[in-house]
Amino acid sequence: MEILAFASFVVLVIAWLLAPSRGNVIAVSRKSEDRKAA
Amino acid sequence: MPTTISAGDTAWLLMSAALVMLMTPALGFFYGGLVRRKNVLATIMHSFFILCLISVQWVLWGYTLAFGPDKGGLIGGLDWLTLKGVGQEPGPYAATVPHQAFMVFQMMFAVITPALITGAFAERKRFKAFVVFTLLWATFVYDPVAHWVWGGGWLGQLGALDFAGGTVVHITSGVSALVAALVLGRRVGYGREPLEPHDATMTVLGASLLWFGWFGFNAGSAITAGGLAANAFVVTNTAAAMAALTWMTVSWLHKGAPSVLGAAAGAVAGLVAITPASGYVDVSSSILIGLGAGIFCYTAIQLTKRLRVDDALDVFGVHGVGGAWGAIATGIFATVAVNGAAKDGLLAGNPGQLGIQAIAVGASIVYSAVMTFVILKLIDVFVGLRVPESEEVLGLDASQHREAAYQI
Repeated sequence: MEILAFASFVVLVIAWLLAPSRGNVIAVSRKSEDRKAA
Repeated sequence: MPTTISAGDTAWLLMSAALVMLMTPALGFFYGGLVRRKNVLATIMHSFFILCLISVQWVLWGYTLAFGPDKGGLIGGLDWLTLKGVGQEPGPYAATVPHQAFMVFQMMFAVITPALITGAFAERKRFKAFVVFTLLWATFVYDPVAHWVWGGGWLGQLGALDFAGGTVVHITSGVSALVAALVLGRRVGYGREPLEPHDATMTVLGASLLWFGWFGFNAGSAITAGGLAANAFVVTNTAAAMAALTWMTVSWLHKGAPSVLGAAAGAVAGLVAITPASGYVDVSSSILIGLGAGIFCYTAIQLTKRLRVDDALDVFGVHGVGGAWGAIATGIFATVAVNGAAKDGLLAGNPGQLGIQAIAVGASIVYSAVMTFVILKLIDVFVGLRVPESEEVLGLDASQHREAAYQI
């Protein structure tokens, strides 16, 4: 059980390293355009 | 077993009751942030009103139905109507605290359970229908199921383990929420316009306060201020954290960004899942329970959305699925090394416990689904469940309460 618990946490850490890290520029600029239009 | 009142146990239980009380307004803020600004007051009012309504219902007849002397394993007798006989001496459920302290601790559970359902019918339910529904649901669903599991009823006699309410609180409310969402139908504009949360900060604050109150919910359920309460406290915190990390990670991989609201919802899912197990499992198991909660609850919500069921604030995904996972996980991970008064689960060599847990889950699901459907249909005939479309578009704050949340 302890090994599974450790392993599951390690998997999460690896997932964070592999997860996308670039911001969503299109959505950000679209939101600011919406605000201007409002 | 001592029969004299323990100052430590009594102080802890009363403090825990206060912590659980805080969870209901916290839930109001958790839900309030998730709705549009035209419905925030109405949503917070659901929780606040239930705190008042069930506080009175519980002392008049709720407590005796749930915990009164057993009648056939199904319901409590009326011996303690209006709390007659429930005084300062210990009662049959807790030998070291006043019966009134035990009663008021249980009251806070009865309060928050129907409040959880309100997230499913947010932004469209008539206030009068909500009032009648809450009173009927507490009386005909919560009180009997609480008796079955905790009041000496048939599930307790069968040996079902539910430390703090996986079946009694979360499965009943989560399944009832799904039924309510299906019976009421989708909100105006669902799928055609964004129904976005109006204040994510309010939701994160609500989730944090829920987490804080949950220490009373789970660790308080030990009733005594000792090692079992400490274990429940630690596994509660661990599972909440692990589920929040898991949910955020899954949403990050699935949708490309680590969601803040996802982390908040994940924490709540972990708290839900550890609830029935918190007095029976160790820390390593709580990490796995939190991991499962993050994955299963997130997946359930995606599925619900794909099926276009408008469970507005994802009550079924978090509480129904999280509660069922927690109850089943109790049957897998329970160990007498944590709680000598309980039973081992599957991994400790007692596979039968898993079957008992499955029966408890199935019975809670079927009973709460059928009863909620009947109650809602009756209310629809006599009161009307939904506000008219024009009032829904205007918003429930204005149409139901004639007030506005913000003057800015």
